[in-house]
Amino acid sequence: MSKALLSIRDTSKHFGTVRAVDEISLDIMENEFFALLGASGSGKTTLLRLLGGFEFPDSGSILLDGEDISRIPPNHRPINLMFQSYALFPHMSVAQNIAYGLEMEKLPRPEIDARVNEVLDIIQLSGLAQRKPDQLSGGQRQRVALARALVKRPRLLLLDEPLGALDKKLRSEMQLELKRIQDKFGITFIVVTHDQEEALVMADRIAILKDGQLLQCGSPHEIYEHPQTRYAAGFIGTMNFFPVHLSGKTLVMDDGGRISAAIPEGLTEGSEAVAAVRPERLHLAHKAYKNKLTGRISAIAYHGLDLQLHIEAAASPQPVMVRLTADEAEGQPLSIGDDVTVGWSAENTRVFRD
Amino acid sequence: MADRRPIYLMSPALAWLTAFMVVPCLLILVLGFFRRGIYGGIEYTFTLENMALVFDPLYAGIFLKSAVIAGLAASIAVVIGYAAAYAIASMPARRQPILLFFAVLPFWSNYLVRTYAWIVLLNREGLIVALARYLGFEGELPSMLYTESAVVVGLVYNYLPFVILACYAPLSRLNTEIVEASRDLGASGWTTFRRITLPMTVPGIATGFVFVFVLSIGNFVTPALLGGGQFQMIGNLVYAQFLTANDWPFGAALSMVLIAIMMGLLTLQTFATERASGARRVEG
Ligand SMILES: Nc1ncnc2c1ncn2[C@@H]1O[C@H](COP(=O)(O)OP(=O)(O)OP(=O)(O)O)[C@@H](O)[C@H]1O
Ligand SMILES: [Mg+2]
Repeated sequence: MSKALLSIRDTSKHFGTVRAVDEISLDIMENEFFALLGASGSGKTTLLRLLGGFEFPDSGSILLDGEDISRIPPNHRPINLMFQSYALFPHMSVAQNIAYGLEMEKLPRPEIDARVNEVLDIIQLSGLAQRKPDQLSGGQRQRVALARALVKRPRLLLLDEPLGALDKKLRSEMQLELKRIQDKFGITFIVVTHDQEEALVMADRIAILKDGQLLQCGSPHEIYEHPQTRYAAGFIGTMNFFPVHLSGKTLVMDDGGRISAAIPEGLTEGSEAVAAVRPERLHLAHKAYKNKLTGRISAIAYHGLDLQLHIEAAASPQPVMVRLTADEAEGQPLSIGDDVTVGWSAENTRVFRD
Repeated sequence: MADRRPIYLMSPALAWLTAFMVVPCLLILVLGFFRRGIYGGIEYTFTLENMALVFDPLYAGIFLKSAVIAGLAASIAVVIGYAAAYAIASMPARRQPILLFFAVLPFWSNYLVRTYAWIVLLNREGLIVALARYLGFEGELPSMLYTESAVVVGLVYNYLPFVILACYAPLSRLNTEIVEASRDLGASGWTTFRRITLPMTVPGIATGFVFVFVLSIGNFVTPALLGGGQFQMIGNLVYAQFLTANDWPFGAALSMVLIAIMMGLLTLQTFATERASGARRVEG
């Protein structure tokens, strides 16, 4: 396993009574594509600003290559931040914007020009080098902001909602583009996003923040399949939640159905909990599964590759979402108002207290 | 059909400007090309004499001196005013309005009173001399009142609030993330100021400078009060032509040249503002 490039240790930052960053500890590996995910106000930007040097922590320390950098000003850190607003210099051309950071390193002019041209090539904006930022589209501006940070070849690149201003199609293109560029430059990326799908697509590892605290950190697969809290389970992807209570050694749903699943420690007889299962884990061929639920189809939506059913069931206050693959749906005469039974396995059931 | 409402909304202002700006200016323009009557009246025959006289070394010299004084006052006011505006803009947001209010406060008192206050400060028995004596200064102090410096000081003092307001506007609008981006890319605080903050706030500086310059070059109260009787700026000259020498055509000719200079500067300022605010969208 590669070594930690960046270590955040028990770091806190308070604004008045707001704990924007609350005792966060986190290691980021060399060459990692790391995503910070959280709702608005969860402290993502504040954490990035601590790493960039725009805020100093109230407590804790931040180590880069084992050295404490938490009090070093931004211009002396080998870390660059791509701002949420892009923060391009409006009075400078694209090329001047990109060259600025290299001029600060006092590099010779020919080298600056060569590196600017190289990075312009990579972001495919060579033709627009002489334009001013207000003559660019949103997507082009975003690429310039990225190039301006990349051209410095930092140890660590911080990106605050880099794709926030783009439309959906451009977004998914740029997600792959960012991956490609990160690979090519071999720079460690920390990307802030509040789009969970984006985090799943791009990141090697994801950290979920809530109210300034780190809820969970792990690979997209871990986060998706093994959420540790109900909040994390609901925040990433779609999740069905069924209220359950413990009766004897089994969990009982509100419709009286018994389900088998790993029971969380400390759950006592009669106490309430919630079982969670992903829509794609529910199947019409329920005979093969231990856990079952019956309800009435209230909506059907075709998505090309798959098909989504909404089922009104006594076991769930909200409609249960079921996602069937085209294969599964084939030959099944499904229509609104039909009664159906779906089944799922114990391994794919998560149970949370609270 | 295009929306006509903007025209209606503008028409009171347009009527006002036409009646009280355009017409008087045209009158002055015309007046400048007539001959002076023997007893101070106006003789309605065309002549270029007045215009020629404006460029006579004597009067051209006064123009030049006025421009130097106005330029000096404008430069000093911009340096002091920009610094003050910068300081105010860096304060916590909720304290800025009150600071601006104090900066502009002198404006609410009468111009004459403010200028007279400087006489009290600067004269031979004034507060500054008294202070020097109090601090133990024995020798003869150079006269401070009735000098060019006193005029410059008076002009700077009077027009400083303009500059503070003009510079504060772009400084307060400056996105803090742009300044942070510069630091992030490796620039020191000073380099950031020189390469980012200053160029982006040029419009405020240009507006402040031109404002002070234009108001100073035509000013006649401050030179009369703080410059003493013997000291003339172009404003005093115009004043004298209309009110004491009774040579309206020459006064009109002087005014025209003064107005032309001001117009030229205002045009330059507009250009500076437009350039700094980034290029227009030229192509699609
Ligand atoms: N300079 C500041 N002064 C006071 N409070 C602040 C400041 N910066 C952030 N906060 C507060 O800290 C908390 C975290 O803010 P932060 O900007 O880090 O959230 P975020 O996760 O980036 O949100 P978003 O997704 O909306 O960008 C919020 O409650 C915010 O109001
Ligand atoms: Mg944010």
